[in-house]
Amino acid sequence: MRKIIVFTFILFFLFLARFTFAAETIFEIKNQTFRVGDIFEAGFFVNTEDEDINAIEGKIIFPEEIISLKEIRDGNSIINFWIDKPKNSNGEIMFSGIIPGGYSDKKGLVFSAVFQSLKEGQGIFGINNVKILKNDGEGTEANIKTSNPGFYILKQDQLFPSSIAPEEKDIEPPEPIELIMTSDPEIFNGKQFLVFSSQDKVSGIDHYEVCEGKKCVIAESPYLLENQNLSKEITVKAIDRKGNERVAILPRQKIEKWYERYLIFAIITILVIVIGYLISIILWRGGKK
Amino acid sequence: MVFLSKIKYFFFFAIFCVLIFFPKGASVSGVTNLRIEILALCGNDVQESGEECDGVDLAGSSCVSKGYAGGSLLCNANCTFNTSSCTSGGGGGSGGGGGDAVITSVIFSGRAYPLSKVGILKDGQLVLTTIAGPDSNFNASLSGLSSGNYIFGVYGEDNQGRRSSLFTFPVFITRGAMTQVSGIFISPSIAVDKSVVERGEDIAIFGQSASNAEVTISVNSEEEFFVKTNADKEGIYLYNFDTSPLEMGKHSTKSKAALEGGVSSFSKTVNFAVGTETESDQAPTKISIKGDLNRDLKVNLIDFSIAAYWYKRSLSSDFKKIEAEKLNNDGKINIVDFSIMAFYWTG
Repeated sequence: MRKIIVFTFILFFLFLARFTFAAETIFEIKNQTFRVGDIFEAGFFVNTEDEDINAIEGKIIFPEEIISLKEIRDGNSIINFWIDKPKNSNGEIMFSGIIPGGYSDKKGLVFSAVFQSLKEGQGIFGINNVKILKNDGEGTEANIKTSNPGFYILKQDQLFPSSIAPEEKDIEPPEPIELIMTSDPEIFNGKQFLVFSSQDKVSGIDHYEVCEGKKCVIAESPYLLENQNLSKEITVKAIDRKGNERVAILPRQKIEKWYERYLIFAIITILVIVIGYLISIILWRGGKK
Repeated sequence: MVFLSKIKYFFFFAIFCVLIFFPKGASVSGVTNLRIEILALCGNDVQESGEECDGVDLAGSSCVSKGYAGGSLLCNANCTFNTSSCTSGGGGGSGGGGGDAVITSVIFSGRAYPLSKVGILKDGQLVLTTIAGPDSNFNASLSGLSSGNYIFGVYGEDNQGRRSSLFTFPVFITRGAMTQVSGIFISPSIAVDKSVVERGEDIAIFGQSASNAEVTISVNSEEEFFVKTNADKEGIYLYNFDTSPLEMGKHSTKSKAALEGGVSSFSKTVNFAVGTETESDQAPTKISIKGDLNRDLKVNLIDFSIAAYWYKRSLSSDFKKIEAEKLNNDGKINIVDFSIMAFYWTG
């Protein structure tokens, strides 16, 4: 009888293991031991365990006193649209993004981070507040397995090979930009705005620039247009982390009438005044004679 | 007694096998057909389909076969012929090889619905549409890609404008290679003729799939019902489901198709209720889509941007109503709302 109970328990736990969906996050560093001054890359991956997921958010905490963040690489990320692009804020890398239509695979790269070791000691990467949501139309949270990898930093003179993360070469421009001009009563008081998005498969998108005519600014989507009468050509540039650019152009939607061009209007006004003044002088002199 | 004990162990062993193996077999259906292979890779010294030559492999060609008197035929880095070292008998040899014969590209092929529109999304952006043939098969190619990881999505649109669920898959694209993704089987479109059906009446479950496919319809209740029907030559299927065994309350249905050993993934889920009075369903194209914040019947970058605008802001009273209707009705925009949008994404 005891054997049967034990066997039933084993079956029960096997059953649970089979049916409990737990996505796994993996923060992977190639070595666990570095020397002071080493540059190393750590990748943040997700294993979906055969389930479909479509959104992920979280925070990675690193010990700022012994390592510094040099660079974040999101070029080959499974995330198609970032809500919060991964960025460093006082030793924390916050991120959130979505994968439209869902994603299922064993090792999908979310992003990687390049660190440099500053002084000897030991540290741990904390993976906190991670949420992975199922692609089920309701945003159901998946169970998550996480592990917090540790590492050691030794003095420079100790006998360990130096670890340097290879510099990324990127000579390709970002992918073509999806650029739409639209308006919606729910945002920007119904005014015209731009939405844009691009990807860069190597180094990742660094930033976007929007130019209305000749005036250019660093911008994020959605971007409220300054020139609401749409009389200027709009250029959107996607610039990757290595400085390669992709450009998309929206031609001007309305041609300015001559009186809308204030400079021309001002010049014409001055000319009219000058010519009028000259004519009046000539007429005055003629009258005197 | 010993025999009885052996029977017990056999019984537990049988349960063990069912628990371990059955769910696995069920969960992979619909994805097993997909095949991703590199058809041609420029730079591997083997001339393949789509390449004129590759390195030293000139596919048996020479300057003479190209119409020159002699000289050395070479191969460009982009796997096109370079005739600059060829000599002609009279005057005037000619310059280098042609344009880009092999460019980094991906070819998609599979089954949709006869003469239906097929849309292809690259990293969430609609980049290509094509029309399937009368036999439901489609073929489309996409070029101008970089080397790296892409997530592609494919959907079909039936003759009534109903879309299938989005079938997504990750593909690593290699520079200078032609990658083929074959065996895509788009899930059927699905609709019902009643939003509420009187218990005991039939509800028509219908849609479009590949020509002559076997369609399995699942009706979700306390007990899940599976029924089968066949699509006709135009891919149309219809099943009148008797609601007598269903309890009063909310139910849902979905379908998947099988043909010649291939199985599609499940379609979208359509909801209906069993009640005391029958109500007809509204026209499918007018159904409001979850996640469609600007009500253009699409869920795309514009909706994402509208939600991004309200992310971490307190919502206006007007937008609260939209959030309640189109998202999860919690009065704020957070990752859950974006997840809902990602599920209903149309590109």
